[in-house]
Amino acid sequence: MTAGTLGGRIAGATLITLLVIFLIAPLLVVVLMSFTDQLYLAFPPTELVLRWYRALLDDPRWLQAGWNSIVIGTMTAALSMLLGTMSALAVTRSGRAWIQPIGSLIVAPMMLPHVIIAIGLYPTMLDLGLNSTYAAVIIGHAVVATPLVFTTVTAALRGYDPALELAAMTLGANGWRSFRYVTLPMIGSGLAVGGIFAFAVSFDELMLALFLANPRTETLPRLLWEHLSQTITPVIAAVATMVLLFTSLLLSAAVLLRRPDAEDPAT
Amino acid sequence: MALALTRTTRPWVIGRGYALLLLFPCAYLAVFFLWPLTRVVLRSVLDPKPGLGTYAKVLFTGPYLQILFYTLEVAALVTAVCLLVGYPVAAITARMRGWPLRIMTALIVGSLWMSAVIRSYAWMILFQRFGVVNQMLIALGFTDEPVRILQTMTAVTIGMVHILLPFMLLPLIATMRRIDPNLLRAGRILGANPVRLFLRVYLPLSLPGVQAGTMLVFITALGFFITPSLLGGGRTMMAAMLIEQEVDIFLDWPTACAVATVLLLFTLVLYFIYTRLARADVARSLR
Repeated sequence: MTAGTLGGRIAGATLITLLVIFLIAPLLVVVLMSFTDQLYLAFPPTELVLRWYRALLDDPRWLQAGWNSIVIGTMTAALSMLLGTMSALAVTRSGRAWIQPIGSLIVAPMMLPHVIIAIGLYPTMLDLGLNSTYAAVIIGHAVVATPLVFTTVTAALRGYDPALELAAMTLGANGWRSFRYVTLPMIGSGLAVGGIFAFAVSFDELMLALFLANPRTETLPRLLWEHLSQTITPVIAAVATMVLLFTSLLLSAAVLLRRPDAEDPAT
Repeated sequence: MALALTRTTRPWVIGRGYALLLLFPCAYLAVFFLWPLTRVVLRSVLDPKPGLGTYAKVLFTGPYLQILFYTLEVAALVTAVCLLVGYPVAAITARMRGWPLRIMTALIVGSLWMSAVIRSYAWMILFQRFGVVNQMLIALGFTDEPVRILQTMTAVTIGMVHILLPFMLLPLIATMRRIDPNLLRAGRILGANPVRLFLRVYLPLSLPGVQAGTMLVFITALGFFITPSLLGGGRTMMAAMLIEQEVDIFLDWPTACAVATVLLLFTLVLYFIYTRLARADVARSLR
């Protein structure tokens, strides 16, 4: 604003620095604790060792949960990309008025507490005989992940002139061909970013996994949760560090994919 | 499209076929979203016997109503802290250009994606009896022996603010970046002092962002489960924890469904207001 004075500038810089520390420091502490040589979480660690990572790799349960999370995340991303693209196309390209409110329905699961969806889905999956299967977790995760694909693909579809598709159809392309050769290349990066977001949502989802998974299909957040309610040993810090690293890589991929059509980083 | 070709009597309309694409998503949401929600509501009034008995129990006996109020209280406190901290931070960030802006954006958006379970775990480490925060408090002379931070409302609030702050910052920054600096310059030339300039020009122009951020943080905070469970222990129970506990420990589905329905209603009403405000904001900017 008007804070052009030296005092104002110093106050502003201090505030921003404190915020950066507030946001980052807790995560750095987790990373540091994962290398501790102690059995408990004394801070700071006296010596840095890889002991907890070794313990992690020796435990088949963590490995299984990690694998489950990746499989469930990938399938969730695929299903959400299909659902999200179909609904985004219908909502943005169909001129009909009654379709617009459906957009709000599609993004609604993002705003609702997951626990409500979870206690409703549990008996539904039971009825369908799907309980504790991978399918149950994937279907549940896709409900809360689809809104992200829907919003990114909708933004991509609004970003160019629909006359391009019309031109393709005028030139004789059918619906599928105009989608495959015109729409898909135009929304490709938006769709990929949406897919990554959907994966990330699934990768961090706890509530639905608590209700819909069993020890065989459990995901990393669920296993982390189970361990956290008992102890907070450094093994958890090691797992957490790996998860944070993986999430950062995913995000970087999303940023790189988005770069070409992003002009203003704040929008 | 094939449909449009077979019925040649009706004029061909652009985008007719697109509506058909909704079949799969709508069927999916009907079975795996709307039906489950309906069934939660139905169970709260039909089980164990039809009527509002479960609601009477939730509203008039036991700790349920108190927990619902506590949930609102925590959500309001967290929203207030997010706004107080977020407003000045957003105002400063909104004026940034080039790489500082890019770093701030990356930091804010990035932290949005970091695991909530892991971040709450991080605060558990920091808030331990002999954790970093207690060590700092002792070193700075605020206290002689470690104070209990875990299992207090303070711990829950800090943990939730850490997770929800980006939801406040992003709409605030987006709105503040749209404020025309010439308006502030004009106000200054016309003799307004900084306080007046802020109250009469900057604050009113930033209000849409305040509204959006406040609603977003409050709605999200209402359904929080992970952070209050880990940092509050059993002492500070929020609605989502209550629902999970009724099902998981007491196997009392009707009560869980009744509390869930109340929470659902709250969220839906607020979400409706939020979309209304957002639409009014768009309409205003188009005028």
